Amino acid sequence: MATKAAVSVSVAASITAASSSSSKFVINTPHRFLCLKRLSSFSSFSASALAIKCTSISNCSPNKSARSMEGFTTRTRASAQPLENASELIASVETFIFDCDGVIWKGDKLIDGVPETLDMLRSKGKRLVFVTNNSTKSRKQYGKKFETLGLNVNEEEIFASSFAAAAYLKSINFPKDKKVYVIGEDGILKELELAGFQYLGGPEDGGKKIELKPGFLMEHDKDVGAVVVGFDRYFNYYKVQYGTLCIRENPGCLFIATNRDAVTHLTDAQEWAGQYLISGGGSMVGAICGSTQREPLVVGKPSTFMMDYLANKFGILKSQICMVGDRLDTDILFGQNGGCKTLLVLSGVTSLSMLQSPSNSIQPDFYTNKISDFLSIKAATL
Amino acid sequence: MEQVSMEATNPNPSSMSGVAAASAAELLCCANARALLDSVDAFLFDCDGVIWKGDKLIDGVPQTLDMLRSKGKKLVFVTNNSTKSRIQYANKFQSLGLSVNQDEIFSSSFAAAMYLKVNQFPPHKKVYVIGGEGIVQELQLAGFTALGGPEDAEKRAQWKSNCLFEHDKYVGAVVVGLDPDINYYKLQYATLCIRENPGCLFIATNRDSVGHMTDLQEWPGAGCMVAAVCGSTEQEPIVVGKPSTFMMDFLLQKFNVSTSRMCMVGDRLDTDILFGQNAGCKTLLVLSGVTTQSTLDDPSNSIKPDYYTNKVSDILSLLGE
Repeated sequence: MATKAAVSVSVAASITAASSSSSKFVINTPHRFLCLKRLSSFSSFSASALAIKCTSISNCSPNKSARSMEGFTTRTRASAQPLENASELIASVETFIFDCDGVIWKGDKLIDGVPETLDMLRSKGKRLVFVTNNSTKSRKQYGKKFETLGLNVNEEEIFASSFAAAAYLKSINFPKDKKVYVIGEDGILKELELAGFQYLGGPEDGGKKIELKPGFLMEHDKDVGAVVVGFDRYFNYYKVQYGTLCIRENPGCLFIATNRDAVTHLTDAQEWAGQYLISGGGSMVGAICGSTQREPLVVGKPSTFMMDYLANKFGILKSQICMVGDRLDTDILFGQNGGCKTLLVLSGVTSLSMLQSPSNSIQPDFYTNKISDFLSIKAATL
Repeated sequence: MEQVSMEATNPNPSSMSGVAAASAAELLCCANARALLDSVDAFLFDCDGVIWKGDKLIDGVPQTLDMLRSKGKKLVFVTNNSTKSRIQYANKFQSLGLSVNQDEIFSSSFAAAMYLKVNQFPPHKKVYVIGGEGIVQELQLAGFTALGGPEDAEKRAQWKSNCLFEHDKYVGAVVVGLDPDINYYKLQYATLCIRENPGCLFIATNRDSVGHMTDLQEWPGAGCMVAAVCGSTEQEPIVVGKPSTFMMDFLLQKFNVSTSRMCMVGDRLDTDILFGQNAGCKTLLVLSGVTTQSTLDDPSNSIKPDYYTNKVSDILSLLGE
């Protein structure tokens, strides 16, 4: 097994429960939600550098022409190893966390060998969990997608970033008399409703228009205590202003991002099976950073919120988890930040050359073609 | 009366970092107002929050501008608001009863077009615009082909099976400015151009987070749209508006005044005042716009103008004219 240098900064992600008083909800150490992300987008870093600074996720300070670098450092990891002994990896962990798009399915098509692989892992007593940054669906809706594809996956095993946002608010005892303004789609609304929170906004505000005329004043609900921002195809200026007003003017208002993926593949069996790039949640979140000059609390990958939630919920040690994903700056970073083993599959957005490029500094423990490689004793030739 | 030293410790005009002034900003008063007037040949005014708020003139502005002109001072208007072209701004000034020539106006819409011109943007290439009519007009005036802009306000992405989102492969630059008609379609179009057209430029007119688009409240500025595109492209833009000193070159060409004999008057620290400091001008902050006294005084603020006052017309009243 490849050895890896310890991550010199621990992004401890234990969620400290807020005071139980319903009139205040305090977030301890919000910086823990800042993602150590996008190392791979900086071409000036090579994998052999001794100290690699992680970027802050700030891309919204107008004075700087380049992103500012904060003080997180990770020591170099050894290069990712091709997965040669799948059995050893399987035996060494108790839980597998899978990303969905590019790992389990691509669009509305299952990737070869997935059902058999999942069955095999279950037969060995492994717990399976599915964590996706896609916030357009609720876990229930995802459950249906799995079912449609013939996979035996329980809703309780699925964690979408829409669920993460609601779970986060629950974990801090967000008061039920406060409201949540949503810049995002249906999945977020459904999860908030399930968790018993009042919400405003969502797709319905997509039709609202602004007329910047003298004497026009946009009002906003003073009871909004959190703004949740995610992927939103109905994004418009009305929503930006509403969210901005809440964050700037409602005391203590939280700014929560489901995720900051720059681009994504829209994968929905019912809607569209396209596979090329579309702008992701990172765009909408960026917009609100730009107008509020504030950074959000990110609940999706690579933030470890979901990891801590799972570990807590299922009572598992992070060292007993293997994160399997196709994206370096979300999936693999998520696993590393959480202290898990990490396996990159090349069945999604990342190619071998991207992994091995000198400008990439995120090295998973292992890589392989696709998850069905688990079924063979030796990895398939790459 | 003791004069505050105004020499910039870092006069490099291309530096984007704020200059740490030796002392705190001075409140404008009779004595230093006179000294300021005598040491300056040109006044550069920001517009939103300084001259007007939305479509309402701020009190005392016309009289102050008249007084300054009568004393032989050159007046220049430097605005980050890209929704109008220079000609459209001249019309706005006129409709508000102010006589200002388009040559005295430097809008970020103009700056974007000039950036492409001085960098010899090829005429066969196109420019995709997230922004208003101002940018489109300036681009056309400079001889470039503009796509997008207000035209794409009603466009929606088609989320149909096997339906590709097409984009023009000849787009060689994306210009992003304030756009109250921002939508997913425009973000997606711009993102594809920047990510997939080789060498495509990503230009921002400015990155102001908020501004007084109406008189009653602040609204998200271009900084919002620019950050949205940064978020999906993972790239940083070339910024042509304040605090970048790009526009200063054009000002210097037009007016034969050295920057040390200019005073930049604005309401934003991180654009107007920083612009003035970066260019080596004197700087005067007015509190009639987005910045309050407490923001100025806050320990976390490191941008200190030379002077500050409530509003532009204080210059007039302090001089007892």
